Order: sequence, then C-alpha cells, then structure tokens
Amino acid sequence: MIMGECQVTTETKTFEPKIAAFLCNWCSYAGADLAGVGRFQYPATIRTIRVPCSGRINPLYILKAMANGADGVLISGCHPGDCHYMSGNYVARRKFALIDSLLKYVGLEEGRVSFSWVSAAEGVRFAEVVKGVTERVTALGPNNGVFKVQDGGGTNE
Amino acid sequence: MKITKEKFGQSFDALAADYQIIAPVSDAGGVNYKAVKSFSEVKQDYLNSKLPPKSFLFPQHEKLLSYKKEGKDVTIKNELKVGKSILFGVRPCDAKAMLLLDKVFKNDEYTDPYYYERRDNSVIIGLACNKISPTCFCSSMSISPASSEGSDIFLIDLGDSYQVEVITEKGKALMAGLEELVELSAEEQALVDTIKSAQTASKVDVSTITAKLDKMFDSPFWDTLHEKCLSCNACSFACPTCHCFDISEEVHKNEGSRVRTWDACMAPLFTLHGSGHNPRDKKKARWRQRMMHKFNYFVHNNGDIACVGCGRCIKSCPVNLDIRQVIDGVNNVELVVD
Amino acid sequence: MVYLKYKTGGEQMSSIVDDIRATARQLLTDGKVDVVIGYEKGSLPLKATPCFVRSPQDIDKLIWDETCENNLAAFSTLTEGKKAIIAKGCDSRALVVLLQENQLVRDDLYIIGVSCQGVINKKKIEAETGEILEASIADGKVTVKGMVCDKEYTFTEVKDASCQTCRYPNPVLEDIHIGGSIDVPQQAAVFADVAEMENKTAGERQAYFQEQMSKCIRCYACRNACPLCYCKECFVDCNSPKWLTGGVDQAENLFFQAGRVLHLAGRCVECGACSRACPQDVDIRALNRKMSKDVFTMYKHESGISMDSNPALNEYSADDPEAFLVKE
Repeated sequence: MIMGECQVTTETKTFEPKIAAFLCNWCSYAGADLAGVGRFQYPATIRTIRVPCSGRINPLYILKAMANGADGVLISGCHPGDCHYMSGNYVARRKFALIDSLLKYVGLEEGRVSFSWVSAAEGVRFAEVVKGVTERVTALGPNNGVFKVQDGGGTNE
Repeated sequence: MKITKEKFGQSFDALAADYQIIAPVSDAGGVNYKAVKSFSEVKQDYLNSKLPPKSFLFPQHEKLLSYKKEGKDVTIKNELKVGKSILFGVRPCDAKAMLLLDKVFKNDEYTDPYYYERRDNSVIIGLACNKISPTCFCSSMSISPASSEGSDIFLIDLGDSYQVEVITEKGKALMAGLEELVELSAEEQALVDTIKSAQTASKVDVSTITAKLDKMFDSPFWDTLHEKCLSCNACSFACPTCHCFDISEEVHKNEGSRVRTWDACMAPLFTLHGSGHNPRDKKKARWRQRMMHKFNYFVHNNGDIACVGCGRCIKSCPVNLDIRQVIDGVNNVELVVD
Repeated sequence: MVYLKYKTGGEQMSSIVDDIRATARQLLTDGKVDVVIGYEKGSLPLKATPCFVRSPQDIDKLIWDETCENNLAAFSTLTEGKKAIIAKGCDSRALVVLLQENQLVRDDLYIIGVSCQGVINKKKIEAETGEILEASIADGKVTVKGMVCDKEYTFTEVKDASCQTCRYPNPVLEDIHIGGSIDVPQQAAVFADVAEMENKTAGERQAYFQEQMSKCIRCYACRNACPLCYCKECFVDCNSPKWLTGGVDQAENLFFQAGRVLHLAGRCVECGACSRACPQDVDIRALNRKMSKDVFTMYKHESGISMDSNPALNEYSADDPEAFLVKE
C-alpha cells in the first residue's frame, strides 16, 4: 500500500518532501533567519518549528512528526560549547546519538532523520544543510510507514 | 451425521467466494482468528486462540465515522462496512461469550449498529474442544468443552471428518449446500460421546458468588487482593466477554474521525473524569469493580455471569493473579453479620 | 560464563528459603518493616507470584527458586509504608536507579539480597511441550510434562534470555545477603545478540520489528511490569498533546515501544521483566538491549550498578561521539 502511494506520487509529479525542522531559538533559527535576510536560496521543503534549545527536543517530537506523515525530520542546535544555556546541547547530543542509532536499528532509512549544528552566523551553511537534507529525503521518497500511522483518523494531510 | 474434512474443505473454499471467513490460523503471535481464503490455511490442532474472536465483532480500534468541514458545509461519512461472514472454529467458551456480548450491544434499550450489523451478518461455526487446557474451567460456568450454545453450526473433530450438528436456522441455511452427510460409525459415536461428556479438570464454584458479592462491597477482602496487580490491560484484552470501550475524536485541522477503542477497568485512566476526579483511582477499587462487574452487576443486569471460563486471563497475567483463586477467595470470605 | 558456588536446587536452595523466612519473621516481629515483598508459589507450574507478607503467620508462604521471575522493584514504588524487598541482582539495580531518581526513601526500604542464577522462561518451554501440566526442578534439571510432549531440560537451556547475558547476578545494594554469591568473571559486556541484529540489512530489521509490533496489543503489561516505568502519566495516556491514537496499527505500536525504550535509555537494568510480562511474546528486549549497548559503548555506562555513578543521560562530556551528525 505504501509502495503504491509512492509510485503514484512519483509518476504524477515530482516528489517534494515535507520536512519538519526543529531549530533552536538561539543559533539555528537565527541561522535560518540569516539565510533569509541574506537571500540564500534553499528548497522550500522545511516546516520550521522553533524550540528554546536543542535540549528541549523530546524524542517523541521526532516520532510524532513521522507518525503524522513528515517525510523527513531535521534537528539543529548550537554548536557544542555555544549553548545559550551552557549545556543544553551537550545533554541533547547524548539523546540524539541514541535516537539516531535506535531509529536505524528498527529499520528507518539513513537520512530520514538528520541532526546538525548550525550557528547564528552560518546562514549560508544553513541553506546548504537544508539542500543536503532535502536531496537525501527526496531520494528516499515519501515516508515509508515505519512510523507513519496509516489509520490514525484524519491525520492524512 | 458427519462430513469428511475433504468434502467440508471443498465447501469451505466455495463459501469463501461469498463470505469473509474468519478462522484460526497460526501466525507470529500464536494461534489467532484471521481472514482466510482456503480451508488449508486453517490451523487444525489448537487448544484455543491466544486472543478471543470478539475483536471480529468488536474491533480493538474502530473508526465509527469521519467528518470534514469545508466552509460552512460539514460532510459526515459513516464508516460501517459489513459483509457476510463466517466465523469458523469458535470454541464453546467464545461462542457463549458472544451471547453475553449480545446482551450488552443489543438489548431493549440500545442496539449498537457497529456490533450488531456484523453479528447479524455472520454465521458461527463452533468446534468442540478435544483437548482441554489446564487453565480451562468452562465446565464450572454452565457450559462444557463440547457445548453448542451460541454456535449456528457445531462441529466435533473426529480426525478426518467432522460430526455436524445444525443448531439454528442461520446454520441450516448455510448447511443447505452441504450434501453428503453420512451416519457415524459406532466407534465414532463412542468418540463423540467421550468428547461430549468431557469436563474441565479445573473447577470453581460460582453457585453462590453473586449473592455473596451483594454483601461484599465493603469487605476487607479487597484490601489485599489487588496488591500484586500491575494494572495492565492484558486480562481485559484477552477476555472474550470484556466489552468496555472509549470513544475519542481524532481531529486534524478541518477533518477528523470518531474512533472507538477498547478500554479496560484495570487502567487508572479508565474512570478518570474530565474534572480530574477519579472515582476508582486505587487498584483496590478497580479489582473490586472487575469482580463485581463479571460476577454480580452483569448477573443483575443481564441474568448471566460475564465469565466463560476460557482461562485466557490466567495465561496472560504477568503476575499470575489467577481469577480462579479470586473466586475461591470470595467463596471463603466469612461475612460479618451486623 | 557464570560459575556457581552452589548447585541449583537441592539443599542450598531450601536453606535460602529458610533464611528468607527467618529474616522476614525477624523484620516483621521487630516492627522494622510493615510488609515483606517476596514470592509465593503460583497457581501455574513453573510460575511464582509476588506475595505481600504483613503478618508472621503468612511467612511460610515465601519461597525462592528459579521461577521467581517478576521484578519486585516494580512494587516498591506502589507499596506504601516501610517495606522489605527480596531482590535479585537485577531487582537491586532497579532499586538503585529508583533511589537515584528519588522515587524511594532509602530508610523505608530494607533490601533482602539473594544471588540469582537466572530465572526460567516458561514460554521457551511451552513452545515445545505445549501447555505445561506438571513440572519439577531438581539438580539443575527441569522436568516438564506438557500437553504436546514431556521433556527434560537442563536449567541453562530454559534460562531467560536476560539471564543468559546477565553480568550482575549478585545484588549491588542490599541490607542483608542470603545464601552464597555467584562468581562472575571480570569481562566487558558482550552484546552478541545486538550485533547479530545489526548485521542484518535495514530491510530485514524493518521486517523483523514490523512483525514483532504486529503482535502487540498495547495492554501495557511491559510498561507496568517495568520497575522504572513509574511516570504518573505515561506519554501513551497523555491526551494533550496526544501522542498516540490508541490504535493498534504496527507503526503506532513501534512508536510506543520506541518511545518507551528511549525513556529508558541509560536507565534500563535489563531485568527482562517487560519481555516476560508480554502476553503476546513481543521481542521488546531486542530494543532495550540495543539501547544498553549504545549507552555502554558510547558513554561507558551501565545503569544501576552503583549509587555513585550518575545516569548516562544526566551527564555529558565535551568529547561525546557525534557520528549521528548529518554528513554535509
């Protein structure tokens, strides 16, 4: 069924992934802002969700995004050492490493969920990261249903 | 009268064209009821399914209706889809359990269309138990390993043939196409008699439990009974008569659906009110409710005990809280006379 | 791997039971505790059941053998008053984590430590013998009369998977130790089972977990049997935000199991209570073991082995591995 959907989408139009991007308020969100102010082009695939700190990202956010049908998830925070709250991203880093490993273990494709550090000064780099992530998710195709809820009732946007 | 399994299988396969046939199959989770296309898929030698066949009539998670709002227009779609079905290989306990579910979902006051449409459109082919599990205690619950109550057609496995009993009109209609019933040999008749007279080894006494429970609401018996319970839903979900559910809305932007999901009295959330008040916030109250509902309230409301002795709750309980021991415990309570 | 100082069954075992009972009697008569949480004989063969002893006349119910598989630490947070708990190695590790997380008051807890040689996994036996009619354990042999066949097993054959890889059979925290202790050779944790799964292709793993998740009925026996799943409101029950719909779709089941495993990251003590509690025999352990392996290899942490070591996710280091970062 998932395969079927996938074929329909790719045959009728080019697949444009929907990517949920959780960005920390102090660095990556500002980086995205800088990319905008500086007019650095990047694909309009991400749906930005601003969080106070990468340490605030609950692992369930990532799972829920995919359950609701996101084709990819991007998570970005301050570079280690630069956290506005001193240690938020250090704590987050441990969580992210475990999440990433577990998701791959249960069979989620590499590249579906991406993590990066982007500072407020890295507008160009933010655009590059989004480009890279978009390319990878596009190559993977739509959410393959490892976590996508098929009949949750009305969540098929 | 009997029919060879070969002939029966041919009719079964032919019926699969018109009916959705639900039968026990062996899958990753053990023996369970699933839709099959051919008799060859049916698991032959099994004690009972791991999960009861009730989920066919009353699914664990069911979309009742869906809706969509566009401008000022709201469209509502009824999600009930029913076709003709056959439930094959239902054990006597589970067939009896369906009669009990009928009392809940179709009574004088209320008829649940989702349950009843499926119920009315399905034929139940019961199958006697040739082997009896040590946790079975149906003989104590006014049925037996070979009782045909609740079945439309009842079969007894004789090795390479089935002894056939047509119980209801529905069963008769289905059997109309089945020819070539032959008489049993003397040996087979003896086998049928043995199977029919079999009793479960495990027994409980429920003769006075309802009256006893009438007076036990405040008994100290409940104070310690629940202690080892983990409050999981394993017993309720494995029970062929448990029927509590929760209805929720799954809404996303301008569309959504109303879904019905199994709920279980063992979970603290079961009775949590919107106000935050929970009338059964303690395990003690929840265990009392479980016993009261099955052995007292249900009897008062519907005239029957809501337990059929299938033993699934005993097998699935992670802490071995055995309902047979709880029944014994209730029987042994000495009531304080005021 | 694990060398025993004493034999399974036999005299040693019965003297352990006697000592447990004597200790329980002493504690109750001295008024040191209100309740002793232990095991009594269950109603099914090869199954012990948790037992709450409050008065000396119930003390003789207490038993100790290879069927005592529940993790009693799960009851420690649910039972009020001062309590004594019979703790195996894994149970004591769970108690350590609970104490570290301030879920228990040390002074209200009396830990009766017993070294454990592993517990029997009934499901393993029943897969072959059918439902067990009768069984006995003697001299390291488990003799089973089943509905399909009769069989004799050595204890090692029917030991639960968690006990096969157990490195802490002796309680790590206890107020009294009963019976002998078990020699464990000093060696690093081995994760052969995880490695085997990791070596499969992503597609194979995906298919495996989808099959496992298709069995899950979301009864939450795993969560409730887990001593460390003590949240007042579990994320699966939360309705604002509503993480899950309550459906039994395999993707949602995986969401639940993966979410649970992530919450147990660096906390899981690998007692295997979740897998044994599962009425549907879902391989929950496969996920927990993976998490344990990652925590161990990345952060050199094993949960609950000492009161002094901080939980892995409560700490960080400037040079933690960053292999998960997106390749640019």
